[in-house]
Amino acid sequence: MSIQTPKNKSEDFTTVEAHLDSTQTNLQRRHFLQGAAVVAGAGVVGLRSGGVWAAGSDKPEKEEVRIGFIPLTDCASIVMASVLGFDKKYGIKIIPTKESSWASVRDKLVNGELDAAHVLYGLIYGVQMGVSGNKKDMAVLMTLNNNGQAITLSKKLADKGAVDGAGLAKLMQMEKREYTFAHTLPTGTHAMWLNYWMAAHGINPLKEAKVITVPPPQMVANMRVGNMDGYCVGEPWNHRAIADGIGITAATTQDIWKDHPEKVLGTSAEFVQKYPNTARAMTAAILEASRWIDASLTNKNKMAETIADKAYVNTSVDVINQRIMGRYQNGMGKTWDDPNYMKFFNDGAVNFPYLSDGMWFMTQHKRWGLLKADPDYLAVAKAVNRIDVYKDAAAMAKVAVPKDAMRSSKLMDGSVWDGKNPAAYAASFKIKA
Amino acid sequence: MKAASLRIVVVNTVIPVENEQESHVQAQLARSRALRIGLLQAGYNIIAVLPGDLYMTERIAQLQPDMIIIDAESDARDVLEHMVLATRDAPRPIVLFTEDSDQSNMAAAMEAGVSAYVVAGLQTERIKPVLDVAMARFNADQKLRSELSDTKAKLAERKTIERAKGLLMERHQLSENDAYQRLRKQAMEKNLKLADLAQRVLDVADLLGA
Repeated sequence: MSIQTPKNKSEDFTTVEAHLDSTQTNLQRRHFLQGAAVVAGAGVVGLRSGGVWAAGSDKPEKEEVRIGFIPLTDCASIVMASVLGFDKKYGIKIIPTKESSWASVRDKLVNGELDAAHVLYGLIYGVQMGVSGNKKDMAVLMTLNNNGQAITLSKKLADKGAVDGAGLAKLMQMEKREYTFAHTLPTGTHAMWLNYWMAAHGINPLKEAKVITVPPPQMVANMRVGNMDGYCVGEPWNHRAIADGIGITAATTQDIWKDHPEKVLGTSAEFVQKYPNTARAMTAAILEASRWIDASLTNKNKMAETIADKAYVNTSVDVINQRIMGRYQNGMGKTWDDPNYMKFFNDGAVNFPYLSDGMWFMTQHKRWGLLKADPDYLAVAKAVNRIDVYKDAAAMAKVAVPKDAMRSSKLMDGSVWDGKNPAAYAASFKIKA
Repeated sequence: MKAASLRIVVVNTVIPVENEQESHVQAQLARSRALRIGLLQAGYNIIAVLPGDLYMTERIAQLQPDMIIIDAESDARDVLEHMVLATRDAPRPIVLFTEDSDQSNMAAAMEAGVSAYVVAGLQTERIKPVLDVAMARFNADQKLRSELSDTKAKLAERKTIERAKGLLMERHQLSENDAYQRLRKQAMEKNLKLADLAQRVLDVADLLGA
């Protein structure tokens, strides 16, 4: 399944330099994007030069914004907003800043070294509620993507029949030993997907497994040396395990919850208060990039080419571009076209910061004992998810906004989450802390 | 706590072989080396230098150090996060070292409860004051935090008791004092804290439909 490359590159593609600021301290960022094939910004995608904001009251207060990201496929809309110049259209300059750990992203959001970040939904709520260390009022400006994470089990386990959740539960019953699984941060999304999936198959993640935290780019290496039996992480690191022949895909996160919320554009409440126009401009620029990515397969390929670069995800293009098109394989000979692959836009349905999405992460934090008591779910979500900023940004970028701030979904175990009765929902699970 | 008696664990970043030659990796390794030398020269007691791998948290649990020092840009920080959560109730200071010599960032990090430590050429004489400040700050924060959580817990308990009292008053047409006495009597008979009993009353009411 190779992708079509144009016969004459020079006609279709122009090399774009990522305008990275050489004064930055992080040496990793001192890397120019060379030879990555992307459409040259403005003209091609029909941007009007001069921006859409009128100089004056709407002018971004802070024109240069440092947005942190972790090398994962779902950082794409932030990178593309900068590479394609959508930021310029809204009078700002986005400086994508590669970070080495979620802990570092969190600290830098809290102390203002980063203005915003590509960040795990649950991490923002963890900081808001003071679950681990720093407590600060945070803000979710938009959802960056739905779907596109997965649970990988080691080839060793798969060969013994653990090719899915049921197979894993059976094997763990039959062959008793300590099983080790990794996610990316205790409050993060992958921890919640892994726990939810295990519990749905009758495995208690707190009692019957050893669960650890590992940075995404190190998942594959750790599995290779036999340090763990399985992990939950974002792409491309699940596909990479298959490509390297060391793991199989036991479940995708869209199997757990179709169109689940994943990463958000996160910042602090203080930032939004100080720089409301900048917050709106950032959101609008990344909305445009999200729309651009989801607009065509060609754009997706260009996105894959761009973010595969060493400055960003640092992997081969092939590892990224299969699953963003929905071409899935499980590593055991099964292939399928998944309609619920990673979505960045989906006509704006992806990006709206639904209150029920934010509340869901708190219900799971409560379920697994990270929160010791039920918070006022709705009030916290209303404070964190800045629907006001999002609506303004969506109007600027001409993106449709859903009517309702809640949405209803049926998860893999048949339970329905619609944002109603969060405390009862959190307590309703049989397997919990 | 005297410098020499402070039991310190330094966490090193694990560098994949294929990246070993990259300049930022080299810089990280050099920083880490300089830090260890500086600590030793200043008379600190480094009880272990651990690689930031999957086994790090277990080894830290065994060693029980007073302080953990790690490079701010190390990806092993997320592995540490696990420990931070697991030992929420008995935290220990984690000092980050960074080559970011921007004083305002450092101040902000300190404000945020992170003890950042500036490595600007890493002079030995700078280590001690920074660690002292970090430790003092941590201890002060701990005191504040525990006071705050005590106060919060007390407040939450009081609210629970008030709600249970209100429920009894409403259901059984009791005066405030009678409702309170009834709760107290039950708590004593059941050998429960008043707040715990009040919580049970509310749970039952929830279950039976208030």
